[in-house]
Amino acid sequence: MTIDEQGSESESIGYDLHVNGQTYPVEATLDRNLLGVLRTEIGLTGTKEGCDDCECGACMVLLDGQPVNSCSYLAAQAQGRQITTIEGLGNADQLHPLQECLLAHGGVQCGFCTPGMIISAHALLERNSSPSRDEVGIGLSGNLCRCTGYAKIIDAVLDSASNGSVEPTP
Amino acid sequence: MTERPNPLLIANTIDEALDAVSRGSTPIAGGTDLVVGARQGNKRLPASLVAIDRVEELQSIGLDSDGSLSIGSGVTHATLMSSTVVVTNYTALADAAALIGSPATRNVGTIGGNVMNGSPAMDTGAPLAVFDAMIQLSTVAGNRQITTSELWVAPGQTSAEPDELCTAIIIAPQPDRSGSAYVRLEYRRSMEIAVVGAAAVVTLGLDGTIAGCRIALTAVAPTIVLVDGLESLIGQAIGEATLATVADLASSQAAPISDLRASEQYRSHSVGVMAKRAVLAAARRATGESISVPVNRSIGVGSDGQRQWEAGAS
Amino acid sequence: MTSGLTSRNGVRNENYLNLKAVTLEPRPFPRADGPDKVTGTGRYAADMVLPGMAFARFKYAEISHARIVRLDTSKAESLPGVVAVITATDVPDVRYSPGVADRTLFATDAVRFEGEILAAVAATTEALAQAAVDAIEVEYEQLPTVTDVVQAIAPGAPLVHPDWQNYEVSAETEQRPNVASFSSIAHGDAEAGMARAATVVTSRYVADASHASPIEPRAILAQWEGRKLTVWSATQVPFDARAGVCETLDLPTNQVRIIVPHLGGGFGGKCGFHFEAHIAALARAAGRPVKLVFSRKEEFLAPDRRREGMVVELTTGLNADGTIAARTGTLLIDNGAYTADAAFFPQLAAMLAAGPYRIPALKIEASLVYTNHQPSGSVRAPTAPQACWAIESHTDELAATVGMAPVEFRRLNGLRSGDVGPVGQTYGEIGLQACIDSVASRLTGETGTEADEAIGLAVGWWPSFPGPSGAYIKIDSDGAGQIITGAQECGTGAVMTLRQLAADELGMAAEDFELVYQDTGVAPYDTGATGSQTLFNNGRAVLLAASELADQIRQLAADHLEAAPSDIVLSDGHASVAGSPNPAVSVAELAATAAGAELLIAHGSGKPGEYPETVGASCVGDQGVAAWASPQFSCHGVRVRLDSETGVVRVLNVATCHDSGTILNPLGALGQVEGGVLMGIGQALTEGTQYDEDGCQRNPGLLEYKLQTAADAPTITTQFVETTGGQGPHGAKGLAEAPNVATAAAISNALAKLIGSHVTQLPMTPERVWATMTDATPSDADRDATGHDTSEPKSGDEL
Repeated sequence: MTIDEQGSESESIGYDLHVNGQTYPVEATLDRNLLGVLRTEIGLTGTKEGCDDCECGACMVLLDGQPVNSCSYLAAQAQGRQITTIEGLGNADQLHPLQECLLAHGGVQCGFCTPGMIISAHALLERNSSPSRDEVGIGLSGNLCRCTGYAKIIDAVLDSASNGSVEPTP
Repeated sequence: MTERPNPLLIANTIDEALDAVSRGSTPIAGGTDLVVGARQGNKRLPASLVAIDRVEELQSIGLDSDGSLSIGSGVTHATLMSSTVVVTNYTALADAAALIGSPATRNVGTIGGNVMNGSPAMDTGAPLAVFDAMIQLSTVAGNRQITTSELWVAPGQTSAEPDELCTAIIIAPQPDRSGSAYVRLEYRRSMEIAVVGAAAVVTLGLDGTIAGCRIALTAVAPTIVLVDGLESLIGQAIGEATLATVADLASSQAAPISDLRASEQYRSHSVGVMAKRAVLAAARRATGESISVPVNRSIGVGSDGQRQWEAGAS
Repeated sequence: MTSGLTSRNGVRNENYLNLKAVTLEPRPFPRADGPDKVTGTGRYAADMVLPGMAFARFKYAEISHARIVRLDTSKAESLPGVVAVITATDVPDVRYSPGVADRTLFATDAVRFEGEILAAVAATTEALAQAAVDAIEVEYEQLPTVTDVVQAIAPGAPLVHPDWQNYEVSAETEQRPNVASFSSIAHGDAEAGMARAATVVTSRYVADASHASPIEPRAILAQWEGRKLTVWSATQVPFDARAGVCETLDLPTNQVRIIVPHLGGGFGGKCGFHFEAHIAALARAAGRPVKLVFSRKEEFLAPDRRREGMVVELTTGLNADGTIAARTGTLLIDNGAYTADAAFFPQLAAMLAAGPYRIPALKIEASLVYTNHQPSGSVRAPTAPQACWAIESHTDELAATVGMAPVEFRRLNGLRSGDVGPVGQTYGEIGLQACIDSVASRLTGETGTEADEAIGLAVGWWPSFPGPSGAYIKIDSDGAGQIITGAQECGTGAVMTLRQLAADELGMAAEDFELVYQDTGVAPYDTGATGSQTLFNNGRAVLLAASELADQIRQLAADHLEAAPSDIVLSDGHASVAGSPNPAVSVAELAATAAGAELLIAHGSGKPGEYPETVGASCVGDQGVAAWASPQFSCHGVRVRLDSETGVVRVLNVATCHDSGTILNPLGALGQVEGGVLMGIGQALTEGTQYDEDGCQRNPGLLEYKLQTAADAPTITTQFVETTGGQGPHGAKGLAEAPNVATAAAISNALAKLIGSHVTQLPMTPERVWATMTDATPSDADRDATGHDTSEPKSGDEL
């Protein structure tokens, strides 16, 4: 995962990243994006890469609680900020309510957009705890899903909101 | 081995940022343009960057002593679209900010980045042009302010010097009974780039006729176009004839290209429609009517209020 | 008007009376892969790493038609970090592809589309691999490009494959110059029928190419251990991928293992054999594992899997009473530069052009035409959305010609149970009419369509694809079950539903079973996630295996409970004697017994369903899908809103109804329909590949190739007509492709009501809608000075 495909000659720089409550020292060249560093240096592969230009949202993470396309954010620029990835929201033994709702409503098919979708939904519900259907649509519009037609994802987010399941970002 | 500049300085103050820029570092805020460009192989990432997204001085929206609005260049689109003063007095700018990309893009993308990218398709460009905004460019030596038409010289190109950093956008107060709006043509309801767009600021006289009107057009020329010849609207009531004149003026002054998003003919036609709608929404806002931001989604096609375009015009 | 209860052959269809669409209540559907997918712990191909692995990049043609004068990789080979560079000379000289063997792994003498691969490089980093690719030197002699299907078949057109007559083809394939595969279907005397018709209507529709665009770009990792090859690949069809690797690299199947980690969607885009052999050959040359991950741009440009562009010309003769007298049609399908799996497309498209209608005389000819575009291949219901859009737009034109409401025209002419189809196939119970009724009642049930809104509908049909498939089921000593299946999960939930099928058969719970799947090294053959066939065929295999296992358990229980095996009842994870108050024995206890004796292992495959016979029809270039097995029927209706000044269209509501036989998993089925509808809206309005004059793509990215977003999603209601007779498990038919047939057509028909004529190019972009409005209607007299339409709006609220 390098941004510069011409064969980078630049030197690595060292910095710390705070991810899901843990600190990771990183040595990487400046051109590395946050997505690549999360996936290959830190080993958190739940965040996905689906496009070249901020269009699909599969790479969505929270930066100080706000959704960011990690594909177009420099990893080095994230130092000193709190990064939350899908791995920080819940696990198989204790699913986050959004994760549970998504499964119960059939909002998961191939699953490739799912981590980014959950991150965006989480950020949306933190901004607006009782969104309308249209507000959910706009709020998730940066996350493309090709499987579901969005209906069941939007249902799940609305259901999650009505259950008051928004929890503070860990 | 030659000495390399610091590859990334994270600036906390304007002075730190200006110092780095003076020594050749490229400013980066959200990175949405720089990093995407580098990933697509369009332009290599500069060897030395200065991150300005933590400079708090650049992130405020405030009123200067003369009543002008001063927007720090680091203000994000998300902040702009929800700022009370912007939504109330400079609504077109909020309309534009609310349409940019996705929630994520709006969270990290800044007005300064948008302005300095110099794209003729930038959404905040037309609103800034109709508001006669001044762009403040700063160096370690001091500040200067220039108009948007002085700044944008060609697609993706500005008149700023390499050692200059955009630090603020300053907009003079608008007259009473003014309203503004930005409308763009979009093929989807979100995640779009302007096919064409138009911003308008309309000031109404006490009798409800047009006392002032400025219109700017997005993505129909190498830079944002300010529409000429609007004096003929002064004293006219908003109605079908006025709006038809607006559409004709906008269409005739557009000089678009044909590309994969639209043909020249379709752009020329539809920018007239956008101009007309921007004027109508601006005029309605000038009367004190609240049309929520962004106007595209509150009375645009696909929203429940779409028919209001026609209702308002008759 | 003829009675709807009597078919053409005079048999009274009592069945139709009983058929009714219903809204299904979803049964809870615990996806075995669900927790993995929502927590981010699930591994996809791009997530896989191996020690020492190198990274692959391809050298692409970047020119659509040229002779290769010189290809020099020496500079690339000498660059630091480069561990292998391979070209055509490094792999066996094999020409492959099903139907027409017209392609090779690497370009040899010429390149025929921009994404053709000249060389592959492996290096220790992706950046170094790209640098090496950039150092490869190619010299071309440009050849004339063929980019238009009409010009391609004109006499004297330059040939994309001058050597086409020497290619190996499957037995029935009918080739012509620049035509890879030609099919026709004929039934009755179309010319005579047309001559007798009261009215004749001719239409021409053109569809642009589009893309499957799964959100996961493809990724492949290959590793050799001695002579054994393991490939982790984002493929929908691991067994096809294995066959491709074996054919092109000359390997036996037992030395090649394809494993698919979680697959991030496919929609046909990842069907077929793609780049597994390239990466395997690179890994062999490099002496280490090699991994390829595509960028989104490559995902658009390189695979031989776009949805084909199409030109459809249709002529239909109508009788005075509105019944169809005859139809002729010519379809030109853009094959692109190589044939991939598209040889059967003409036959599919011809059936779609006939449509699910009673047509006594029919002649449709369809050609798969070579161009210098990216190759076409099976994308979700190949040829169907475009052909259905054309035929169903044409159908609304027919209805208007005879002054009938579109829905009444379809009720009159649409197929009913017992009817005879275009190739002489007699249908059993089919739900087309019930689908129409269901959608019409829901769409017209809403009141108050405004002047800028209209409703429209379209009907669709699509086959099911019977094929071989296998599965094992075992229960180990602790009573935990495993289903080991060759089937591939691409997201639809089809493989996930296998657990429920087995559990229901064994009186156990779905959660009692884990799945071992998408691994050719451990499971029996299955066709893969293609042709909506997973539950249809593999469900049969799993049911048979479960049934065999149930017999084994009953035998054990019979010994344990001292009863006859036939009296043993399996329920709630226990075996008991029917009617006996004696305590039951748990399956776990029986499994423990079996673990020390004869193990609980069963297998299933079963004979695939048969294809119906064609009677009284001629099919030239028969590719095996002349008569459709377990045909599926559907009706989609939409309410759209038009911005008449810009041509921007939004779809507000969608009502769908499907006859896919028995619905095995309602929640999964709804997901398929809703996803298909949204894909259809994209195809209708925003998704089209644009080509420059040299045949290169202008919009290979998700900003300019526009998928629908969550903000665009309409509300969708869905009903099903559960007909009998499906050849799948418990009477199921296929399902996943059928929802991607009729949506674009329904939008076209709704839109036509608002603008007075149909938009004749797909996608119906705002600019095309605007141009159609400006060109066609209203007349100048209806326009005021500002160009506004002052004519009365057409009524959009009737079907």
